[in-house]
Amino acid sequence: MREFIARLRDLLRRDRLDAELKEELRFHREQLERDADATAGDAAVHASRRLGNATAIREEARDHWSLPWLDLLQQDLRYALRGLRRSPGFTAAVVLTLGLGIGANAAMFNVLDQLMFRPYPYLRDPATAHRVYLRMEGRESLLDREEFPYTRYLDLANWTTSFSQTAAVHQATLAIGVGDAARERPVEAVSASFFDFFDARPAAGRFFVPAEDTVPVGAPVVVLSYAFWQAEFGGRDVTGQSMQVGDLQCTIIGVAPLGFVGVADGSAPVLWMPITTFGGGATHDYWLRYNWDWTEMIVRRKPGIPEAQANADLTRAFARSRDAARTLHAWMPRVDKTRPIAIAGSMRSAAGPYPGLEARTLTWVSGVAVVVLLIACANVANLMLARALRRRREIALRVALGVTWRRLAAQFLTESVVLAILGAVAGIAIAQWGGASLRGFFLPADAAVDVVTDWRTLALAGAAAIGVGLITGLAPLLFAGKSDLTSTLKSGAREGTYHRSRLRSALLVWQGALSVALLIGAGLFVRSLGRVREMRLGYDVDPVVMVKWERRAARSSAAEQAAVQQRLLETAQAIPGVEHAAWTDVVPMEGTSTIPLFVAGLDSVNKLGRFTYQVVGPDYFRTIDTRILRGRQFTDQDRAGTPRVMVVSEGMASVLWPGEEALGRCIRVGADTMPCTEVIGIAENAVHDPSRDQPLRYYLPLDQFEKNGGRLLLLRAHGDPAAMSETARRRLQALMPGQEYLTAQPLAVLVQEQRRSWQIGAAMFVAFGVLALIVAAVGLYGVIAYNVAQRMHELGVRVALGAQGSDVARLVVGEGVRLGAAGVVVGCALALAAARWVQPLLFHESARDPIVFAAVAALLLAVALAASSVPAVRAMRADPNTVLRAE
Amino acid sequence: MPAAKRDLLPGTLDMLILKTLSVQSMHGYGIAQHVGRLSHDVLQVEEGSLYPALQKMRQKGWVHAEWRQSPNNQRARYYTITPAGRKRLGAEEAGFAALVAAIARVMRHA
Repeated sequence: MREFIARLRDLLRRDRLDAELKEELRFHREQLERDADATAGDAAVHASRRLGNATAIREEARDHWSLPWLDLLQQDLRYALRGLRRSPGFTAAVVLTLGLGIGANAAMFNVLDQLMFRPYPYLRDPATAHRVYLRMEGRESLLDREEFPYTRYLDLANWTTSFSQTAAVHQATLAIGVGDAARERPVEAVSASFFDFFDARPAAGRFFVPAEDTVPVGAPVVVLSYAFWQAEFGGRDVTGQSMQVGDLQCTIIGVAPLGFVGVADGSAPVLWMPITTFGGGATHDYWLRYNWDWTEMIVRRKPGIPEAQANADLTRAFARSRDAARTLHAWMPRVDKTRPIAIAGSMRSAAGPYPGLEARTLTWVSGVAVVVLLIACANVANLMLARALRRRREIALRVALGVTWRRLAAQFLTESVVLAILGAVAGIAIAQWGGASLRGFFLPADAAVDVVTDWRTLALAGAAAIGVGLITGLAPLLFAGKSDLTSTLKSGAREGTYHRSRLRSALLVWQGALSVALLIGAGLFVRSLGRVREMRLGYDVDPVVMVKWERRAARSSAAEQAAVQQRLLETAQAIPGVEHAAWTDVVPMEGTSTIPLFVAGLDSVNKLGRFTYQVVGPDYFRTIDTRILRGRQFTDQDRAGTPRVMVVSEGMASVLWPGEEALGRCIRVGADTMPCTEVIGIAENAVHDPSRDQPLRYYLPLDQFEKNGGRLLLLRAHGDPAAMSETARRRLQALMPGQEYLTAQPLAVLVQEQRRSWQIGAAMFVAFGVLALIVAAVGLYGVIAYNVAQRMHELGVRVALGAQGSDVARLVVGEGVRLGAAGVVVGCALALAAARWVQPLLFHESARDPIVFAAVAALLLAVALAASSVPAVRAMRADPNTVLRAE
Repeated sequence: MPAAKRDLLPGTLDMLILKTLSVQSMHGYGIAQHVGRLSHDVLQVEEGSLYPALQKMRQKGWVHAEWRQSPNNQRARYYTITPAGRKRLGAEEAGFAALVAAIARVMRHA
C-alpha cells in the first residue's frame, strides 16, 4: 500500500526525479574521475566505461516511477486509438450505433428517474416516508384509491400506531389574484404536520402551526413557493400581506425554501394552504362524512417497524373506517364483501403498487429502450468480430511472438471500452437533444431536469458504456481464443478464408428477432390508438367550448346566482355561431359523485354498481350530442316545484331493470322517504374513462337540484373552438358581478389528456421499433457485404465455371433472406410469449393480432431482401479475371 | 594480486546496501566504494544496478533520501536507513545465513 502511494507520487513528479538522478549520476562520475586521477590514463573515458550507459540507468530507474498497470493501460489506449483512427468508417458506425442505444436509455432513465425514483427535494429519510394506497374489491373490478375522504384520513391517523408522522395533502388548481391578473395556479392544501416531513426551513416567515389547521375550518394563511415569491413579488418582504386565493382572502405567513415542491408530481405548487381551510371553504361536513374522495395521505413509519406490520396496521384501521362509514351511509357495502387493503407504498404514485396506465406504459417503453441497446450491442459485437477476422493474421503473428492471452484480451477490451465511452458521449448528446420531446410529454415543464446536468443519468450512461464495452469486446476475444495459429499464418487471402461464423449468424438472428418483437409491439400500439380514436364516446367534444365560473368572495344568495346563470345562458345563446348551450356541474372526463338511490324491489342499488350523476340544464344533451334513445330530454318545464324527473343511461337502465322498460320507473334519490323521481328518458352510454368503462350515469335537471351545482357552461358552436373560447369569455366576463371571473377552453383539450397514454405508447414504440429495424438492417447489410467480400474469390471461381449472374445473386440474397426468416420466427415467438404482459396496455386490441404479426414479418423479410441485394449486385458485377488473380 | 572479481549473487544487493547504510548515511558513490573496499574489490557494485535498487528501496520505505553538502562542498544525495529498513535488513541477513548454511551442509556431505 505504501509502495503504491509512493509510486503514485513519483509518477506525478517524474521529471524532477529524473533531473535529480541525472545530477546524482554526474556527481558519481566526477568522484570516479577524481579518484581515478592517480591511476589510469584517460580518466573521463575510464569513468564513462565504468559508469556504463547513464541513459540506460535512468531509463531503468524511470520504470520505478510509475504504476506498471498504468503504463500498460496507456500503451493499450494509444494502440486502440491509433487503430480506430485508421478505420474511420468502422469507428463512426460503432459510435453511432452505440450512441443511439445508450442515448435512448439515458433519455428514458432521465424521465423514469424523475417520475419514479428520485425522492422529493428536502424529504427527510425517504426510506421511511410513504404514501397511502387503498384498494377495495368493487362489483366487477378492483378499486384503487389514492384519494379518499378527509374523515377517512382522520380515522387512519387516529387508529394506527405504526406511524410517527401523518399528513393530509390535496392538489388543486385555484385562481390566484384579482381581476385581469387572476390566473389559475396549482396549489397544495396540506396539514400543518406536512412540513415536519421535510428538512426545510422557511426562506422567510414561518410554516403553519397546528392551531391554524383545525376542523371545521382552518385559518386563511398561505406559504408561498420560492419561485412564485421571486416572480410575483420580486423577493421583497411580503409577510403579513394578503392575497386572493380562490374564494378566500388569505394572509401570507411565509415562503418555502428554493426548490421545495412538497409532494407534487406535476407542476410545482405556487403556494401551500392548510387543508382544513380548503375543505372548510368547500363544504361544512368534509370531516364528518365519507362521500368526497379528495385527500391524499402521507405517513412516516416509526423506526424499527417493518413495512408489513405497518401495512397490516393500516388495513385494520381502514376496515374499521369502512365500518364507521357504514353507520353513516347505510348503503355502503359490507367490509367482508369488499376486502379492503391499505398499503404504505412509494411516495411517488408512478412507482406505487397501483401505477396508472401512463406509468406502466413508461416502464414498458424503458424496457424497449433496453432492447434497442441490446440490438445495438449485438450489431457492434458483429462489427468487432468482423474486424478481428480481418486482423487475424496480425493477431496470430503476435501470439506466435509471445503475447500472452491476457495482454490480447486487455487490448481488445480497451478498444471496445474506448468505443463504448465515445458512444456514451454521443449518446448523452442524443439524449439531451432527442429527449427534449420525451421530457415534454411526461414531465412538467418547469421542473424537468436536463440530461447533461443530471449526474444520476450520466452515471448510468457511464456504467452502460463500460458494460457495453466489456460485452462487445467479448466477441473478438472468443474468436481469438479459438483460432488455429499455424494455418492462419500460412494461409493467404485465398485459401479457406470464408468463415461462416456461427457466432455472427447467431448475433444477426438475435438482432432480427428483437427488431421483430419491437415492431410487433409498435404495430399493436398503433392499432390500439386507432381504436381509441374511433371509439364512440357517447358525446362529441370537438365543437364544444367549456366556460367555467369561478366563484369568489361573498357568497351571493341562491336566487342571485340563479339570475346570473340565466343571464349568462341567454347571452351565450345569442353569440353568433353558438347552436346550443347548457349548464352542467361536471364534464364527462372529470370527477364523479354519487348519491344514494332507492329502487322498489331492489334491496341495495349499490351492490349492482357505482351510479354517478350529473346535474344538467335543459339543452345539455343537444349541446354535447349525447343521443336520447327513448323518451325525452329535459325542458324548461322541469323546474323546482314540478314533478321530479331524471334521464338514465342505457347501461344503468339495463342493470336496474334488465329486460324491462325503464321509462316511467320510480327512483328515490337521496333517501327512501323522498318523493319519486320519474325516469323520462334513456340516453346513450357516455364513456368517461376509456380504460374504466362506467356507463352507469344518470342526469338530473339543474333547476330541480337543491344544491346549486352548475358551474360549467357548455357551448356548442360552429367554427374554431379556440377562437370561440376567447369570444365567449370576453362577452360573458362583462356580465360577471364583482370579482368573479370566467375561464374558457375547448373541451377537446381536456379529452386529449385522457388519450395521452395511448398516444405516448404508440409514438414511443413506433420510434424505437423503427430505430431497432434500422440498426438491424445496417447490421445485416454489413455482415452480408463482408461475407461477399470474403467470398469474392470463390464466387469468381463459380462464375468462371459457368454460373450466371442470377445464380450468384440468388446465393447471396438467399443467405440474407434465410437469416431474416430465422429472425422473424424467433421474434414472433418472443412476442407471443410477452403477449400476456402487454395486453393490459392495449385498448380493444389483442396482443396476438395476426395481422400485425404478418405485416411485421413481411417488413423484415423485405428489409433483409433489400439489405442483401446491394452486395449481391456487387457480386454479380465481379469480373472473374480480376478476382481470380487477386490475392 | 587482487582477488578475482565475482558477480554479486542475485538478491544480495539490497542486503549489502542496507548493511552499508546501517553503519552510516552515505551517497551512492560512497556505498559503492564502501562495499568494494570491504570486500577487497571482490564485490563490485554495478552503478547500473545500484541506483535503480536505491529507487526501489526508497519507494518501499527502507531508505530515506535527501540532498546534502558533501565534505568537499558539493551537492550530493545522501541515503539514510529507516526503522523499516533495519527490519528488512534483519530479515535478509537471516535468510542469507540460512541459505549459506544449507549450501554448506550440502557441500560438506556431498
